[in-house]
Amino acid sequence: MPVDLETILILVPEGALILSATALFVLGAADRRRSWWPVCATLPLLFALVMVVRDWGRPVLYSGPLIQDATGDTGRLLSVVLGLVMVLMAWRQTRRKLATEFFGGLLMVVAGLMLVSRANDLVFLFLGTELVSIPTYMLLFLGKRNRASSEATVKYFFLSLLASALFLYGVSFVYGMSGTTLLVGSGDLLGIRDKLPEIMQSQIGGLLPLGLVLVLAGLGFKITAVPFHFYAPDVYQGTTNVNAAFLACAPKIAGILALTRIVVNVVPAEFYLGAKLVIVLAIVTMTVGNVCALWQTHVRRLMAYSSIAHAGYLLIGLALGLASASSGGLHGLSAMLFYLVLYVVATLGTFGAFAYVRSRGEEAEHLDDLAGLSQTHAPIAAMLAVCMLSLAGIPPLAGFWGKLTLFSGAVELAFDMTHPMRGWFAVLAVAGALNAAIAAAYYLRVILVMYFKPPHSDSPVTADHGLQTVVAICSVLLVLIGADPGRLLDAIEPQAVRARQVPVEPELGMNAPDGEQIPE
Amino acid sequence: MEWLVVLIPTLPLVAAIVTASLGPRVLRSQSHLPVVIALALSLLCSLVLVVQVQRGYTENSDTGFEVPIQLWSWAVIEDAHVPEISGLTAAGKSLDEPITRPFRVDITLRADALTATMLAMVTFISTLVALFSVGYMHDDRGYWRFFTYLGLFVFSMTMLVSVSNFLLLFVFWEGVGVCSYLLIGFWYTRPSAAAAGKKAFLVNRVGDFGLIIAVFLIWTTYGTVNYHDVLHTPAGKVVVDSKTVQEAVSEKAAGMDPGSTLIRGVLGQSRIKTNDFVIGPDGELVVLAICLLFLLGACGKSAQFPLHIWLPDAMEGPTPVSALIHAATMVTAGVYLVVRCTPLFAACPTAQLIVACVGGFTALLAAVIALTQFDLKRVLAYSTISQLGYMFLALGTGTMAGITAGFFHLFTHAFFKALLFLGAGSVMHAMGDVIDMRKFGGLRHILPKTHLTFLCGCLALAGIPLFSGFWSKDQIVKAVKEKADQLEVSAVTLADLDTVASAPPEKQVFTIPPPWSASIYRWLHWSAMFTALLTAFYTFRAYYLTFWGRQYVPEEADHPHEPASMWRPLAVLSVCALAIGGVLEIYHQPAGYLQQTPSLSGESFIPKLDGEVALISSVIALAGVGIASVLYLGDRPFVGWLQAFFEFRWLSRVTRRAVYCSPYRLSSEKFYLDELYGCVVIWPLRTLANISGIVDRWLIDGLVNLIGWLPRFAGWMVRSLHKGLLQFYALGMVLGLLLLVLWMWWIR
Repeated sequence: MPVDLETILILVPEGALILSATALFVLGAADRRRSWWPVCATLPLLFALVMVVRDWGRPVLYSGPLIQDATGDTGRLLSVVLGLVMVLMAWRQTRRKLATEFFGGLLMVVAGLMLVSRANDLVFLFLGTELVSIPTYMLLFLGKRNRASSEATVKYFFLSLLASALFLYGVSFVYGMSGTTLLVGSGDLLGIRDKLPEIMQSQIGGLLPLGLVLVLAGLGFKITAVPFHFYAPDVYQGTTNVNAAFLACAPKIAGILALTRIVVNVVPAEFYLGAKLVIVLAIVTMTVGNVCALWQTHVRRLMAYSSIAHAGYLLIGLALGLASASSGGLHGLSAMLFYLVLYVVATLGTFGAFAYVRSRGEEAEHLDDLAGLSQTHAPIAAMLAVCMLSLAGIPPLAGFWGKLTLFSGAVELAFDMTHPMRGWFAVLAVAGALNAAIAAAYYLRVILVMYFKPPHSDSPVTADHGLQTVVAICSVLLVLIGADPGRLLDAIEPQAVRARQVPVEPELGMNAPDGEQIPE
Repeated sequence: MEWLVVLIPTLPLVAAIVTASLGPRVLRSQSHLPVVIALALSLLCSLVLVVQVQRGYTENSDTGFEVPIQLWSWAVIEDAHVPEISGLTAAGKSLDEPITRPFRVDITLRADALTATMLAMVTFISTLVALFSVGYMHDDRGYWRFFTYLGLFVFSMTMLVSVSNFLLLFVFWEGVGVCSYLLIGFWYTRPSAAAAGKKAFLVNRVGDFGLIIAVFLIWTTYGTVNYHDVLHTPAGKVVVDSKTVQEAVSEKAAGMDPGSTLIRGVLGQSRIKTNDFVIGPDGELVVLAICLLFLLGACGKSAQFPLHIWLPDAMEGPTPVSALIHAATMVTAGVYLVVRCTPLFAACPTAQLIVACVGGFTALLAAVIALTQFDLKRVLAYSTISQLGYMFLALGTGTMAGITAGFFHLFTHAFFKALLFLGAGSVMHAMGDVIDMRKFGGLRHILPKTHLTFLCGCLALAGIPLFSGFWSKDQIVKAVKEKADQLEVSAVTLADLDTVASAPPEKQVFTIPPPWSASIYRWLHWSAMFTALLTAFYTFRAYYLTFWGRQYVPEEADHPHEPASMWRPLAVLSVCALAIGGVLEIYHQPAGYLQQTPSLSGESFIPKLDGEVALISSVIALAGVGIASVLYLGDRPFVGWLQAFFEFRWLSRVTRRAVYCSPYRLSSEKFYLDELYGCVVIWPLRTLANISGIVDRWLIDGLVNLIGWLPRFAGWMVRSLHKGLLQFYALGMVLGLLLLVLWMWWIR
């Protein structure tokens, strides 16, 4: 695989992050006080931010395993901003002794996310996702030193390995059929996309869906889609609020970006089989997430199920992208990215608020710890309420517009009389609406506890301005985006410019592989 | 002139907002200041406006004078109105009107003679009432609230009479209704006040329903809800100035101006000129429906039979409110509406006859009820209903004489009825909120100023010659009589020509033949004269019971007094009550001035005093006062006997039930109308509501709770999968994947 200077040059920010992370790991051992390390982590992130913003809007460029396009730009920007926000959140929350390890891992994850968002190669994609996963194990372990935390880390570690295995297995199918791992070829190098018509015609073309399902399973773990979601409640509960925030955002960004890449490039246009699969996954995922969340009294467990439910909403966009090659599908993908951004903002705000509140010397764990927050800490309660309402999709906050763009895409297809899957999308739209209604119950319960229950005598907060800033920024963003959603949506839209031109093969066969194909 | 019309409603609104925001904390006992000042300024503006309208008319007096003032657009929907095919002919008939029209609601005010007169009357009375309230309401806990509501009411009322659009008319129609509700229930801790407020509001809803349906019909029939003509120039400008519009129309007729389109207002000058109110094949029926629905609305607001039942209960509100809203201003909104829509009613004689019947019957009914009431304010309330009935009776004649007479009566009545109510308020204030005339008497020495001013009001109300009420009531009676005469004459001619028989059959359904209507008007004339007798009687009965006879006061009256802030407005009003009718009559002002309004400028006439009618009216009024004097001055020897006679006590030996349907009982129990409504309307509705409540609570709520319980149940089922066992999780993932693959293979 030819890697030229150009490729290396466009990887400067990622490289800088990895180098800085290495430096942090190494140099951290030499310093005992360790009070300046957050600053050291911020500087490379700021550098990356500047580079990303400078590269924003460059023409589409394929360079071997890398691609430079609008989706990549969006993903990179989101990743760097996530990194900065996480540094801000963890500034005071990390134990001093472990600061370099924590921040180094964080930089690694950000670099991994940025690679994922630019990957034009399945192996490269895997590399990126692993660069997200492996430091995450470490971060989880660094959060708290107790049994629950260790157990959560181990669970996440093993299940993540399994998911990676599934992903690789799927990639191997795709590679077997196409003979390349490159997504889109450049020059005389052919990618999967270019070979797709040929694969579809061939005898083994029917195995492509199997490979894609395995890939979907691997990435489904990252975005906590049912049935790959099992780890989420336990792990969120076992770790700290800051880590939970991280876990709710980073893997989800990686998974969604990777899925977008694959759907835009590898999947045949109007892949109805896949769309049906994703619709079922979406409905099951959001329903399981929401109905389980109704029972939770532990805030992080509640948010874990909430994040599962949101994965279901995000899959609606994926289904739209699979079912429709026309602008509707691409609209669905950009709606998915739009929703992802809103979800990340609201989730960071929520966990920030949870981390801010302390009860009896511990981090806020149970809903009861939030009782009467409106009286003791009115601003943070109001901001948390904004995040909750946005997650619930109450107009005019940002979350409402996210749900609206997703659902309206489904409704549009449901009313498209010529579309063969209109019935499926009708069911999907109805299920989405019902789930949004169910979800309101538990989000509003948090507000109810904060505003209508008497406060505990002792619920001091950590005097952490970093967390305060994060929560404030997130809630203000939610309100602002809610006031003018079109601006952000337009910024995300250009990724739809890359229309999918793969010839349509309506009835995609699958030469029934039997059980032996399934890894046991 | 424009800024005057805008300023008149704006000032009270600003005052209300200021009072509401500063009243409870800053102004406190000075809360009346903003409202009183604003009302006084509004009054000043209104008076200037009256003069300016007169001046404008003299400069340009061919078709009446109006100035629509467009402020901004509330709502615009392009091409909203597409008339049916049948309507096309009507549209084509006129001056190239556009076939499809926009639905435009412009915030448009207007200045014309009718509006200016109403504005002057409303602001004058409200200023005096506000001044009176300063004394009456002092020390009340809701002092600032009272003045806020008052300002809000005056805003709504002035807007009601100055908007130039039926939809806005409805908006402020509701606005005054809300203010009335708030003020009736002002002392909301009293159950009776809260109930009265609710009753007034609910009864008014019936009328409002009619009004809004009428507005819908107007929109579908005429394609606009504006009173005035609107010219849309090719440049997209909207011109409402009547002079420009008229010039453009004549240019258009001459073929000089092809670009602009004219949308003729419902009461616009172009429509009045061509008298184009009946549109389409069913036009007559539609116009009849519109008129009757307007009448329903007017009956609600102006307390006409059968919707009059709320007004007596509305006396639970503070007395200044009764004087302002429930005697002088708001209740005349219905009369104003009918006067405003005169051209519509003129296109439909049947509707006019119904208006006259409703008015005449209400006048008689309310007067009979007023005979036996002992609550001073209730006597006045029924008197108000009765006088409003007179106004409707006059409007129902449909002649210019009748309409101006009705409006003239509205004008004079506002002054003397406000005076009487404020007088009653003064009595009530002195008597410690006791208003039952049996509990006090002979107050003329205790409250000398109130006594004199109240007497002025009584003289005017009773129609004693030379006082205000006499002139206007005389005109009404005369107008009804003339109408009857005129119809009898035309009935004879029509019978000769045999036109009635040759008229198309479908038209006969909606037209009552002239001989019948002539006799109906004749009956109404008699009834009006009889009502005048009753009016004089009950007025002076109340006066004698309160101020004459043995002097005694109830226990609640600890210090009877008349503060200056209360008797001064009374004095001003009593001068008006005595003189305003005569002054206007001498200058022939009411008719002449009112005819400057475009929609009332049809036939020109000068009202003359009919010696015969005037004489009969005077005799009747004096006879009523005389009877009252005989019965209630001195020892009142006959009262008990008469009561026993009219209560059918002499029949009690035969049957005890006779008492319940005796004239006295019918009158004192208000003809059992409240009870009738209770049985026919309230009880069935309440039962239905109770049944619905039970269904809602047990069935619907049960279903909803069941549905709400389902997700929780599902959650309980699914959550048992999350046991925390790592091996199980991995198995779950793989099994799930297996399921997916199998399912995919299956649906392939």
